Amino acid sequence: MRNWQPLAEGVAMTILISTLAMLGALAGGLAVALARLSRYRVLRALTYGYTELFRTTPFLVQLLWIFYALPRLGGPALTPFSAGLIALILNLSAFLGEIYRAGMIAIPRGVVEAGIALGFTGTDVKRRITIPIAFRQTLPLTVSHWITLFKETSVLSIIGTAELMYEARVVAVDTYRPLEVFTGVAVIYFLLTYPQSIILNRIYEKHRPQE
Amino acid sequence: MTAESMSILCIRDLHKHYGALHVLRGIDLDVRQGEVVVIIGPSGSGKSTLLRCVNRLEEPSKGQVLFRGADITAKETNLPAVRRSIGMIFQQFNLFPHMTALQNVMEGPRTVLKSPRHEVRMRALELLKKVGLEEKVDVMPRQLSGGQQQRVAIARALAMNPEIMLFDEATSALDPELVGEVLGVMRQLAEEGMTMLVVTHEMGFARRVADRVVMMDHGKIIEHGTPTAIFAGAVNERTRRFLGEVDDR
Repeated sequence: MRNWQPLAEGVAMTILISTLAMLGALAGGLAVALARLSRYRVLRALTYGYTELFRTTPFLVQLLWIFYALPRLGGPALTPFSAGLIALILNLSAFLGEIYRAGMIAIPRGVVEAGIALGFTGTDVKRRITIPIAFRQTLPLTVSHWITLFKETSVLSIIGTAELMYEARVVAVDTYRPLEVFTGVAVIYFLLTYPQSIILNRIYEKHRPQE
Repeated sequence: MTAESMSILCIRDLHKHYGALHVLRGIDLDVRQGEVVVIIGPSGSGKSTLLRCVNRLEEPSKGQVLFRGADITAKETNLPAVRRSIGMIFQQFNLFPHMTALQNVMEGPRTVLKSPRHEVRMRALELLKKVGLEEKVDVMPRQLSGGQQQRVAIARALAMNPEIMLFDEATSALDPELVGEVLGVMRQLAEEGMTMLVVTHEMGFARRVADRVVMMDHGKIIEHGTPTAIFAGAVNERTRRFLGEVDDR
């Protein structure tokens, strides 16, 4: 019975770090999308490089690099929590950035012109037209990435972030009961993720591309 | 008084090139306060491009556009500020797809003029009623017919209290049975004294509502005059041929 305590704490940490990572990546993805569509070539090139780097290397490599390699280069020594969170945000921002960029490009030119004709500034156009429409149009993809992220946090157990998978490994070693513990953990992940999956399906059904 | 001081809009020797393509080849046109000027002409004659140069959605290659006496092609022009006073209606309506009809109409005054919400809302409701859509206030654009969408677009432009309205083939994308409701609203605006520059293929509207009809062909104004003069006694051979080809509704 006392083994439920660490698992419950693990669940809380998984939810916390997933939520923080998603919030960070929503902002990060938006920033990446805007930078990639910027009129400044340097900004476009930098974010292009960043996006491709993080999309073409395994998340595990990124995580270990930030936690173990970065401090050797004179970077800050990060706690497992911070390193995990930063890795998740950097990784997901690259993917969401591409999605939001595509969403922004797909907005009909005429809708933007309607704003310009009303007297919108460039900032007004982004704030009131481009960003809200791109977010809405790509909502199913965002939710789908959220579900992936939620499960992906288990990788953080490698560096010792005390989320669900990490706690499970500790308990499994303590009790010598890997079968029961890891089966239980699989069930917990399922119970947490399945409702999200149902919500995603609802969004897919409701979601129709708009003109 | 000079032409400039009487006219709200003066276009002077306006040219537009797209690469080698010379779309506007020296346009001169004045629009006076309260006047309805209808531009007609075959496809590709430059009508829409001319209209889009007036609020500089297109950049003119050469020439001047004077709005209330100020040259808005000048470098130091504060374009967003100028565009507030120039309403524009598009062929494809271009409503904001993520906002209800009411939000669409409120958007300009809220975002651009930063007017108080309550005031803007009252005015928007009034305008939607004016265009006959008081029952569609909370409906999203994709659930509206083309004619209804275009009327919301007209209300949206009017919410800025523009000094002139530009209509860029406002009814061309509509099913025939929906054209009348939009033309009706446009006609009502004209009767209320709105200054209007209208590009259209609706010859009936030109004949009945226009103060002046302008015929364009190949990037030039080849003839202009009162509707009677143009429709009954066009001098130019090209104008006559064009009027013979189009349906007179």
